[in-house]
Amino acid sequence: MIKLDGVTKVYGTDTVAVEGVSFDVAKGDFVFLVGPSGSGKSTLLRLMSREEVATEGDVWVAGRNVSDMPPSRVPFLRRSLGNIFQDYKLLLNKTVFENVAFALEVIGKPRHVINEQVPFVLELVGLQDKSERLPNQLSGGEQQRVSIARAFVNRPLIMLADEPTGNLDPATSEGIMGLLQAINETGTTVMMATHDHRVVNAMRRRVVQLDRGAVVRDQERGVYE
Amino acid sequence: MMARIEYALRETWASFRRNLTLTMAAVLTSAIALLLVGTTFLIQRAFENLLVQWRGDVAMIVFVRSDASPEQIALIDGTLRAAPSVIDVDKLRYFDKVESYAEAQRIFVGDPVTLSLLTPETIPTQFKVVPLTQDTDLVRSLADQYRTLPGVEAVALAEDEFEIISTLSAFVRTVTLIMSLVLLGVAIGLIWSTIRTAMFARRREIEVMKLVGATNWFIRIPFMLEGLLQGLIGGVASCAGVWVLNSAWTSGVAAFKPGTGISSLVVPSGYLSGVMLILLLLGAMIGAIGSAIAASRFLDV
Repeated sequence: MIKLDGVTKVYGTDTVAVEGVSFDVAKGDFVFLVGPSGSGKSTLLRLMSREEVATEGDVWVAGRNVSDMPPSRVPFLRRSLGNIFQDYKLLLNKTVFENVAFALEVIGKPRHVINEQVPFVLELVGLQDKSERLPNQLSGGEQQRVSIARAFVNRPLIMLADEPTGNLDPATSEGIMGLLQAINETGTTVMMATHDHRVVNAMRRRVVQLDRGAVVRDQERGVYE
Repeated sequence: MMARIEYALRETWASFRRNLTLTMAAVLTSAIALLLVGTTFLIQRAFENLLVQWRGDVAMIVFVRSDASPEQIALIDGTLRAAPSVIDVDKLRYFDKVESYAEAQRIFVGDPVTLSLLTPETIPTQFKVVPLTQDTDLVRSLADQYRTLPGVEAVALAEDEFEIISTLSAFVRTVTLIMSLVLLGVAIGLIWSTIRTAMFARRREIEVMKLVGATNWFIRIPFMLEGLLQGLIGGVASCAGVWVLNSAWTSGVAAFKPGTGISSLVVPSGYLSGVMLILLLLGAMIGAIGSAIAASRFLDV
């Protein structure tokens, strides 16, 4: 589902974010990208969603090499991805329903599909009763659930989560991880960057550890260390 | 497809209302710029009318020396009448000293210095000539021939006055054209700025749209429509302005005495409709250009 082959990303002339990174992720895998701040976790996720282009090497996502993908094809790549962020990136002037519906609306889904899919996914994340609330009327955990609902509503092949529990307390984080696990069980590949050792150790899934832009450990059923 | 159209129209209208102050400034500037363009067209057409009328009624004046003998005057008269195919002999008129002086008093009413130099004794008499031909070169060659006749002081051609009108017309056209272009540039700049501000205000929304897979065109179109709408509204306002201006001018011109040449400065309504159509298209074009540049340039938010 994801294949990185000798990927290097250099910002400017000499700031190396990742260097020579290679690994494969099979369909339906759940992979933690761990490492200290600045180790290149977010850069790898951004390379996969083509927010950045690799300086060297190939990045294959859902069967497509995104490194040499023409810009006009990038939106279609992103429709097969779901993105979750530490800061949720919700639209504060839209309700919970509108935030989730927005992801379908901007890719041209008809109104009847939106009215069918959004309530379903809001129920999945447990927010069916708060669909008319604005984001600032929700707790951090609830906002992250909206973000997950928005990422999942289009049934992506891959979920890219960048520190999704970074702003949440342990109990709320546990709920979010439960949701991601449930999504993973539907066959969606999940790639999650984190430095939250509690969730990594609790889940015991594959761990790819980065240090100064290079892979230093790739372990099945790993822990944070 | 319907969902996309509905989305684009809804977002266009929402954005249009959200930045009302800047939008009004852009619309107003577009309207003023286009009004100037329309006025340029109308002035140009009015000058053309004026020139056409002069051409159709081209006149030559043969000034006769004040000390010319009656024989010399008779020779000039005979020579003018000897070309009936070129000169309208029925309209040929001789102004004697009294008539010439009376006319000079009218012509130089605003120029007392020149008038004071003229007396009924020293003023040249004159033959007023209306040529039959439209061929100004032929008239000019006749004028050259008449200048050599004994007793002729000078020959003036109305055609020479055309140069003044043409020069004036070219000057007015250049000035209004430059002002129009500058204002059109300003209008494009303001529309560009409005769209840029609208995009900046919605940068988070655009970021999310890109992340969930909206195409650049899907993101751009509402902004481009917004610019197009601004330009079009400016175009409609300028059409109204041009119509009001032309109506006021037409009724104002009607107050002048006939035969003064001013009446020819009226623009026909068919031409006005054409100008209004051009203004609408031009409005839409500046709106599209300004917003297209902004929407392409500032999509990477």
